Amino acid sequence: MKTAINIIQALLLILGAPLVRGIVARCKAFLQRRQGASIFRPYSDLAKLFRKEDLLPPTASIVFRFVPFLLFGTTICVAAFVPLVQPSALLASRGDFFLFVYLLAMGRFFLSLGGFDGGSAFGGMGASREALISSLAEAPFLLSFVALAILASHADIAGIVSWTQQQNIFNISAVHMLAFTSLAMVVIAETGRMPVDNPTTHLELTMIHEGMVLEYSGPRLALIEWASAVKLHSMLALLVALFFPWGMASSLSVGGIFLALPLYGAKVSVLMVLLAVIESGMAKLRMYLVPDFLGVASAVSALAVIFTMLDKR
Amino acid sequence: MPLGSIDFAFCFLLATLGIFAPFVLMASQAKKIRVFAIALIVASNIIGCFVAALCFWRQSVVFVDVSRFTPFPFTLGIDRLSALFLLLICTVAVPVTIFSASYVDDHYGQRRQNWIWAFLSLFLVSMILVVTASTGFAFLIGWELMTLLSAGLVLLEGDSPEHRHNVFLYLLMMHAGAAAVIGSFLLFLPYSHTLDFASIRATSGVVPAGIRMLVFSLAFLGFGTKAGLIPLHIWLPRAHPIAPSPVSALMSGVMLKTAVYGFVRFVFDFLSGGPWWSGYVVLLVAAVTGLLGILYALAENDLKRLLAYSSVENVGIIFLGLGTSMIFLAHSAPVWAGLALAGALLHAFNHAMFKSLLFLGSGAISKATQTVDLEELGGLQSRMPVTGATMLVACCSIAGLPLFNGFVSEWVIFRSLLAGAVLIGTKAQVILPLMVGILALIGGLAAACFVKVFGVAFLGRPRSEAAEQAQEVPLAMRAGMSLLAAACIVIGVFPGLFLRPLVSLLQVFVPGAGVPPETLSIAHIIPITAAIVLGVTIAVAFVKRRERVVRTWACGQPGLTSRMQYTATVFSKPIRFVFSSVYRPNRKIDRLPSDQAYFPVSVTYRSVRTTSYEKAIYRPIAEIVLSAANQLRRMQTGNIQVYLLYIFLTLVLLLAFLRFQQ
Repeated sequence: MKTAINIIQALLLILGAPLVRGIVARCKAFLQRRQGASIFRPYSDLAKLFRKEDLLPPTASIVFRFVPFLLFGTTICVAAFVPLVQPSALLASRGDFFLFVYLLAMGRFFLSLGGFDGGSAFGGMGASREALISSLAEAPFLLSFVALAILASHADIAGIVSWTQQQNIFNISAVHMLAFTSLAMVVIAETGRMPVDNPTTHLELTMIHEGMVLEYSGPRLALIEWASAVKLHSMLALLVALFFPWGMASSLSVGGIFLALPLYGAKVSVLMVLLAVIESGMAKLRMYLVPDFLGVASAVSALAVIFTMLDKR
Repeated sequence: MPLGSIDFAFCFLLATLGIFAPFVLMASQAKKIRVFAIALIVASNIIGCFVAALCFWRQSVVFVDVSRFTPFPFTLGIDRLSALFLLLICTVAVPVTIFSASYVDDHYGQRRQNWIWAFLSLFLVSMILVVTASTGFAFLIGWELMTLLSAGLVLLEGDSPEHRHNVFLYLLMMHAGAAAVIGSFLLFLPYSHTLDFASIRATSGVVPAGIRMLVFSLAFLGFGTKAGLIPLHIWLPRAHPIAPSPVSALMSGVMLKTAVYGFVRFVFDFLSGGPWWSGYVVLLVAAVTGLLGILYALAENDLKRLLAYSSVENVGIIFLGLGTSMIFLAHSAPVWAGLALAGALLHAFNHAMFKSLLFLGSGAISKATQTVDLEELGGLQSRMPVTGATMLVACCSIAGLPLFNGFVSEWVIFRSLLAGAVLIGTKAQVILPLMVGILALIGGLAAACFVKVFGVAFLGRPRSEAAEQAQEVPLAMRAGMSLLAAACIVIGVFPGLFLRPLVSLLQVFVPGAGVPPETLSIAHIIPITAAIVLGVTIAVAFVKRRERVVRTWACGQPGLTSRMQYTATVFSKPIRFVFSSVYRPNRKIDRLPSDQAYFPVSVTYRSVRTTSYEKAIYRPIAEIVLSAANQLRRMQTGNIQVYLLYIFLTLVLLLAFLRFQQ
């Protein structure tokens, strides 16, 4: 039963990912007084891409060809770490957050290589910028997890989540606030959203993620796009699970699960709206201000770790 | 001396590598005999692997005593720690030898080939001596031989003045380090009547705290020099890149690890932990080493220099684990000390695998293209598929990606750092978890660095004629690299195979270590993760699709050339910009003709790091030494009467000393 729910919630995470993108885009459209596309538009985009022909650059080696598959594989694996409706997930009890973070890094590593293999300047440029951002984002990413893990005295995501769930909702510690701030900043950087990267740009001066995937088309591009949607959804779901887990079904009952599911939808919707507001309200940071942005995230996460010492629960 | 079969195998290993193979290789010019000798080296190293594995598993202590023929006790023995490092040496030696069988033939003339083979074989023996020595005398003999033979191998590559200068610097630093090691051995002498390891271990409880502190400091300095801890690393990026590639592989992959061995032997075995502050010192130096090492590596475009700096970084990671372990020992938390030590030793082992592979790969690249300058490479993956695939495995491993071996050891170190939070009420409670951030930053930068290596060298368009014409290397070289790549993947996917024996090792060294439950969780989860990742990857790879090759998008312009690609220099530019205080670069842009700023015929750009340890630390020291020598020159008059006077004065002084001592 538990495993079945785990599989179902991983599938929900993966299949619902394009919807998350659609909703964020729709919210942005609303905020910008545009009509906007349907929230199901990303699905039809993916379907169209899967039907299209795959165009390969002449320099493409086996690396270029396999990168989208590997990226998709690692991202699916990442999705299997995130609890949705119950405080556990397929890999969340044995695998800890280090594995989670490094699986994401693995996807990025391969995507950067794919960018290089196109043989044009854009791919390398995207890879180079991605290298800067991801190498600086790793420290705050892990440190904010470390702070939570110390409080919960569990290193696996399921353990952290179920510990948080047992705490009083009104008794939020400073550690949680700091960790949330830094993790939210990291999520923005990791998923390539404003103000770090503009997911809708195709201007060479500003491309990061789009620069790396510029040479991909057809089914391969569809896999990359889907993978990045899954990544966004997993990260949002992770924020929900780590900081607002109340309402998850802690015992295995049908009623609990059916209550937890709409509650999850509501919680993640709040985050999506928040993301849309941030994206509409902020301009993209200059490239060399991004390290400052991540520097703040690192400092906040380091503070979170230091505060765990004061937080005697 | 009863000769068991393991003892016999070990003696066979030593005799083959130390006497028989070099002799045959030097004496004979015939190709067949040389092939036989090389096969013998490979075979004896395989035997060495079995000996090491058996000793490790059964903890049977091999013991070879030749004290009768030597002025000081000279015995070799293999306990678990020695067995681990013997295993490391022999496992790396096998693929490196196979690789060299083709590499050496291609690169050198007949005479030089013989010398290289003989030295290579002896170099292996010297390293085996170091890790199996069980007296101070044997250890120091091996230590010195190792330095000299590696220097000889570097000189065999070429002896231009610059080459000689680098070798001189190498020897100088090594001997300064060796002096510190000798010093830390001798400090035990008043308390233990011989320098036998067993008696040193037995008397270490008697040694007063002040002397223990001194022993630790000297050992840290001595082994730190050999390992390449910043700021003692200056020889490393000079000596490693100029050696023949297989030798670079051995020097970076294996020789650096003998320093780790020595440090562990001294601090964990002899001193059982060192003074309370020592862990923090090691941790701090290691963090600086790791961070600066990878930042310097990122700025390099010469592949072998880049790899040498990345060795500095990895040594930093290893010592980060060792320092963590020492802190846990000082706070008497043996379970976690054991875990951190396991992480450090495993990382030493893993680094040996992937760094040798990377150096062999650089050898393959230099054979195919005659250069290791990243800016001249590109597009090698489709021209050298096997080299490319193995290098990709090595790059993934060193970047610490899951499913490859580098991740496993970094994970163990991460977990032990996180566990620092259990030391409630100590400084370590915060310092260790914060170190996670440092290690994460190092890991992130390493990933960036190796995206650059693989992306620029193997992907995209070739950046030079030579890279365009590159051909796949011969079978022997491919086989050597594939063996190492396979090892990286096996350890990466089935970490339990390695972690469990390692943990059992630690129960000998860290009393009360126990089996940390963490080592088992990763052993379970990684194969599952691998299955999911590979399963999904293969499943989607079989999705039906139509493919067509079209021109790369160039904003609608025709004629995209390789010069329009991102270069290695510009790839690292954002990171160099952010960390510019580390490099303090001196940039120079020359436009020709200089009066036409907007239509130059040629533009050259140069950016040089101006932060230099030579200038900041070593030049002042060298100047002090030189001025002292200048002062001493006044004593050298050349007049025999004056020298007789010196002798007389010394005699009087000594007699006076003896008189007043009693």
